[in-house]
Amino acid sequence: MNGASALTAGSALNRFGLGARAGEAAALGDPLAWLQQQARAPADAPQLAGLPRSVDYMAREADFLERRRKLKSDAATTAKDAPAAANDPQRTLYLDLFGEDLRREYLARWQIAAETNTPFAERLVRFWSNHFAVSTDKITAALYAAPLEREAIRPHVNGRFADLLLAVEAHPAMLRYLDQVRSIGPDSRAARYFALHQPEADEDMPPLRGLNENLAREILELHTLGAGSGYTQDDVTEFARALTGWSMPGPRQLQRGETFDSAYLYRPQAHQPGVRTILGKHYADEGEQQARAVLADLAVHPATAQHLALKLARHFVADEPSPELVRRMARAYLDSQGQLPALYQALLHAPEAWAPTARKFRTPQDFVVAGMRAGGVPVGPRPRAWEGVLVRLGQPTFQPRSPAGYSDIASDWIAPDALWKRVQVAEALSEHVPRQGLDPQALAHAVLGPRLDAQTQQALARAEAPQQAVAILFAAPAFQWRT
Amino acid sequence: MNRRRFLGTLGTLGAGAATLSLWPGISAAATGADTRLLVLLLRGGLDGLHALPPHGDPAYARLRGPLALAPDGAQAAWKLDGTFALHPQLAFAAQLYGRGEFMPVAAAAPPYWGRSHFDAQDCVENGTDAPHGAQSGWLNRAVAAMPGVEGLAVAAVMPLIMRGTASVETWSPPLPQHVDPVLLQRLEPLYGDDPHLAAAFAQALGNQGAGMDEAADAGMQMGETGMSMKPGAQAAASDDRMAAKALARGRLPALMKSAGGMMAAAGGARIAFVEDYGWDTHANQAAILVRKLKELDDAYSAFHDAIGPAWGKTVVVTVTEFGRTAAINGTGGTDHGTGAALFLAGGAVHGGRVGGQWPGMAPGELYQQRDIHATTDLRAVFKGVLAGHLGLSDAVLAEKVFPGSARLARYDGLLRA
Repeated sequence: MNGASALTAGSALNRFGLGARAGEAAALGDPLAWLQQQARAPADAPQLAGLPRSVDYMAREADFLERRRKLKSDAATTAKDAPAAANDPQRTLYLDLFGEDLRREYLARWQIAAETNTPFAERLVRFWSNHFAVSTDKITAALYAAPLEREAIRPHVNGRFADLLLAVEAHPAMLRYLDQVRSIGPDSRAARYFALHQPEADEDMPPLRGLNENLAREILELHTLGAGSGYTQDDVTEFARALTGWSMPGPRQLQRGETFDSAYLYRPQAHQPGVRTILGKHYADEGEQQARAVLADLAVHPATAQHLALKLARHFVADEPSPELVRRMARAYLDSQGQLPALYQALLHAPEAWAPTARKFRTPQDFVVAGMRAGGVPVGPRPRAWEGVLVRLGQPTFQPRSPAGYSDIASDWIAPDALWKRVQVAEALSEHVPRQGLDPQALAHAVLGPRLDAQTQQALARAEAPQQAVAILFAAPAFQWRT
Repeated sequence: MNRRRFLGTLGTLGAGAATLSLWPGISAAATGADTRLLVLLLRGGLDGLHALPPHGDPAYARLRGPLALAPDGAQAAWKLDGTFALHPQLAFAAQLYGRGEFMPVAAAAPPYWGRSHFDAQDCVENGTDAPHGAQSGWLNRAVAAMPGVEGLAVAAVMPLIMRGTASVETWSPPLPQHVDPVLLQRLEPLYGDDPHLAAAFAQALGNQGAGMDEAADAGMQMGETGMSMKPGAQAAASDDRMAAKALARGRLPALMKSAGGMMAAAGGARIAFVEDYGWDTHANQAAILVRKLKELDDAYSAFHDAIGPAWGKTVVVTVTEFGRTAAINGTGGTDHGTGAALFLAGGAVHGGRVGGQWPGMAPGELYQQRDIHATTDLRAVFKGVLAGHLGLSDAVLAEKVFPGSARLARYDGLLRA
């Protein structure tokens, strides 16, 4: 492999992929072809086999709520004045019902990251997962965060953006996270009913009051057009009205024994009647179809093309990618009527994407995953340990602090304490690298290729034990960048 | 201030004796089987001339210059005999020595004398006469020779010494909170060259000591510059605080305490392995070893307290992959050498004396004019312990545990009769 192609292979594995594994660069073949191959099919992963569907979780959640209600009423009658129990019985119940599933969900995600042979496709999955961020901070959405990625993102990551968008916005994770399930049209039949029959207050199902704009706003601002692209507060409100009725089966329906084949449910009685005007276009009242039509138009709007192209170029090329690159990518996207592979192809064929200056700072998740892949660190059966590492580094899985997701800009991750913790994690990771046949110098060459600088090499050579050399490799500046 | 520090700081024999009397030495022979063996590997090359200073050797003080230690003066080493002493920080070890439960062996080395860390550690662990001489480790093969016995490796991944067919469990504490100061030392110049990361990293190093009063109370040397890469004698205060923090977080005592706990019960682990890093002292050796030897001494003490009455039937063998150059180098440190010190500790050890044959430090006595000439093969000591303490036969030792070592006699008399 000559110098230039070694650089290209390294970028394919480290900047476009999840981090090189030993021997991977040599076996890559043509890096561009290798990447293109991964941008064609849905991103499937055998590790996900057998995980419950959202609709399964939803049924069991109703069961949980019923049992929790009973726990509470028991507690209220028997131990009104007793101090809080050491082991919160509600938490215990939740973990009994869902703990093992959550462990499997997180474990599968770690296993995929560490083991995948299609790391570009997986990086795309993670990119879109962060683009359509939900957070387990919202307790009611927590069960559905991992399924959102599995059910809505993976099947569409190499398809039409409109399909991806629709699958995400109708997913229980997003409906719950951005309060869409609570939104009803002020003039809907449901609103009129509730005005006459105010139901009893209930923690699990507080009374519905009216319109909630949260999802509509974030779709415009974060998921499609982007902030500052010219939409108005009226557009937000009108879109929120169009979205009314997009909901989920309620716990009481499930407790009554009704069955559902999807966790998404359109409730016509909650839909705000009437024609909606969004971005100057009129949408006839076709119930559920009204918001679908809006989403379909948003997906191929020029502002959306620009927004997606910028975020993707920022993710793969540079914090501030050249406007020309973004413009070309947006054009390819629009020309293809919103096909994501066209967007990816424009990126992969851009000279900027392969310039020696192209580089990105590894986010904490990238850093830990890259270390696991480089060192062949076994994931083991307990994802909680790795999640603990991410918590300390500031990027726990499915837990960003806002619907904007985690930052993709180096300056947000480069801070003294953050670097210090990386050194600690590098050391801890190095202790999990299998030692049989371990040659840290060769490993450094294999994963960093021509990006392994002389000074890092020298530091590796002076290490007092292979484990320490691996810690130096993981903690070195050269390993913090996707080059 | 905790008790261990109290002992370490003041070196009060009375207080030490009170601790020791909790577990009076009971000979292994008296208790029959169920003996315990722990091997502690100090990776990086412990300087035997610093831990076990040969103050009586006429060439020692001249070769060592400012690194030389003496059994008198302000920083007095613990005098063991006319030739040897123990580093001032090894206070608990010195007390064990006084009770006959600690035995240094001078000028020991594995059969590989090539001065590469990785190859020398490989040789120490694989138990043959060369690096990569076996794919399994001698301690695993010793476990295999003892039906019904399981090994314990205090490590996240199986180290070579415990690799093999016998059943060995690994155990490691949750994420370590400390950072190896040597690692920081290696990283600082790398980060200094990255314009995007240099400032943040420098500040990270500076921040780490904020509010480290506890460590300061522990009486560490604020002049320690093990982590300071700045030239000159005056290290920045921030570096000192960082040193303080790292010092307060030594991991070895915690690991040894855990190992002791797992070996304490009647059915506990009989054969265990613990490893430590950070012994490669090319610069600022005096300050670094004040910290590291204190950790080692605290580790012995923590293990002693954790294993309880089983201490009486225990041998702890502390080894390193090589010793260091006889002479001090130009940066206040020493470079890779050959003959090193090893330590035996435990109630089953026939200690209170220094073992091995001292080859001397005169010009004609040094190996290649620079290192202590190794006069004891580590494997001879291992054989002596495995035979006397665990009852392995000479045939098993020569063929299975240390293959090809039939002509290497075991070191006898290490254990109490």
